[in-house]
Amino acid sequence: MRRGIWPLLIALVAVLFMASLLIGPAGLGLGQSLRALIQGQGEAVVLVMREIRLPRALLGLGVGAALGLSGAAMQGFLRNPLAEPGLIGVSSTAALGAVLSLQTGLAATFALALPLAALAGAALSVLLIMLMAGPRGGALALILAGIAISALAGAATSLVLNLSPNPFAAMEIVFWMMGSLADRSMTHVWLAFPFIAIGSALLLSTGRGLDALTLGEDVAQSMGLNLVRLRWMIVLGTAFVIGASVAVAGAVGFVGLVVPHLLRPVVGARPSRLLPASALGGAAMVLAADIAVRVVAPDQDLKLGVLTALVGAPFFLHLIWRMRRVEA
Amino acid sequence: MSLLHLTNLTVRRGECPVVDDVSLTVKAGEFVGLLGPNGAGKTTLLRACLGLIPHEGKSNLSALPARTRARAVAFLPQGREIAWPVAVGELVALAGRGQGATDRAMARMGLAAYRDRSATALSGGEQARVLIARALAQDTPLLLADEPAAGLDPEAQIRTCKVFQDLASEGRGVVASLHDLGLAARHCTRLVLMARGRLVADGPPREVLSETNLAEVFGVRGFHAETPLGPVFQPMDVIR
Repeated sequence: MRRGIWPLLIALVAVLFMASLLIGPAGLGLGQSLRALIQGQGEAVVLVMREIRLPRALLGLGVGAALGLSGAAMQGFLRNPLAEPGLIGVSSTAALGAVLSLQTGLAATFALALPLAALAGAALSVLLIMLMAGPRGGALALILAGIAISALAGAATSLVLNLSPNPFAAMEIVFWMMGSLADRSMTHVWLAFPFIAIGSALLLSTGRGLDALTLGEDVAQSMGLNLVRLRWMIVLGTAFVIGASVAVAGAVGFVGLVVPHLLRPVVGARPSRLLPASALGGAAMVLAADIAVRVVAPDQDLKLGVLTALVGAPFFLHLIWRMRRVEA
Repeated sequence: MSLLHLTNLTVRRGECPVVDDVSLTVKAGEFVGLLGPNGAGKTTLLRACLGLIPHEGKSNLSALPARTRARAVAFLPQGREIAWPVAVGELVALAGRGQGATDRAMARMGLAAYRDRSATALSGGEQARVLIARALAQDTPLLLADEPAAGLDPEAQIRTCKVFQDLASEGRGVVASLHDLGLAARHCTRLVLMARGRLVADGPPREVLSETNLAEVFGVRGFHAETPLGPVFQPMDVIR
């Protein structure tokens, strides 16, 4: 099972990526779509494939991988299966940045205003975490600081909604916060991918350290792990990938929590193997969910974040139920 | 050759010293039992030796770069944490010194048949053996073990102490905090007694476990005897 999981995951992601390219309201044929995408034949079809579906599929891939990978890293670092990437406050501050740009009208001034504001929000949370948890603070200080930052950013977001001048502005913010990959362009891809790439490289390189942490902080340090360095790699890596994801897709919940859970037994629980597996699993889950929102309710603009939470939350309840039975 | 060298090591928690001006040298070939009642400072002393907590005074190990230190000393902490259900063989191999070291360590702790079992599915005592094996697999000249015998069945307790004796006779050094005075008397080459953060006695087992030390530090009395299986010490009664 363990060896066989890699080709299986890769194949799953590849199939879902292709499906994401080929499924849509335009109802294009398989050959026609691919010819348009690769060779640029047929003007309208080229536009649909290269400007609408390709960025959407690429972002599904990147955002999903970011969420899965950072979830696995955060769970490995905190040695807690309930940890998720939002725990250090990056998601909420990035969302706050985006919401502020919508509220102030900055988002309407140029295409990248909103994602850039979200990235600035993510950077702010890293600064705050650095200040509050200190360079040598433990995991507990990190979690508490993250919770405080999340609460603060959440309150600020609510305040913006509260003071919103008209219901349409509030509606726009609420819809954005539900998370979606619809109507994104290649510009979004070019903005998000460098951050996701840098963050992923940071997170993937923590594998050995996270393996050692399986035995606790004292043992890991006695085996030569630099705990302070590892902590900053996790915080910065998560801020890069989650900041970029929220910037282009909004808040997509539960992927970072559920995917590492699902794959942990399959890869033999070792964090260094779970990291890449969760990246693939996260990509598969977001691609699948993004296909589902198009297929299930093509006319309703069902939001991606709504679907992942709708599927993720019951699954999470099931996990808690199982855990309860094991502990009892 | 001295493997551990502490000079005036002091650890404070607030104003109060938890480890108070401890100087200690451990040489190759020694199996040192670190004794003392609860709260005497044994765990703090071991962690400070490695530089895991801030301290005053000197430890030859705490100043080393992390990677170099990992080759000089292995540490088995008191808290037994195994966060994920990883296979026993992989867990022991985390020590990072190759398959040979892993196999030898697992054989020493009688774990050869456990290789593919999930570590978190084992009993507490079995997990303790896995963690001891992990420390052995680091293949270092010095091992610091914090209550390695706690929660082990008699067979595993004796096996662990014998493994430590073997390490000492191979020319390595072992420092292990122990609560079982009988086990310490039987297996250690040297005992170090701590009370309220200070070293109060240091020497051969028979000398350290004197009537006065036992009464003053532990508040117990017991008896020593020579048996065909070796020296025996048994604490018998509470004095205070």
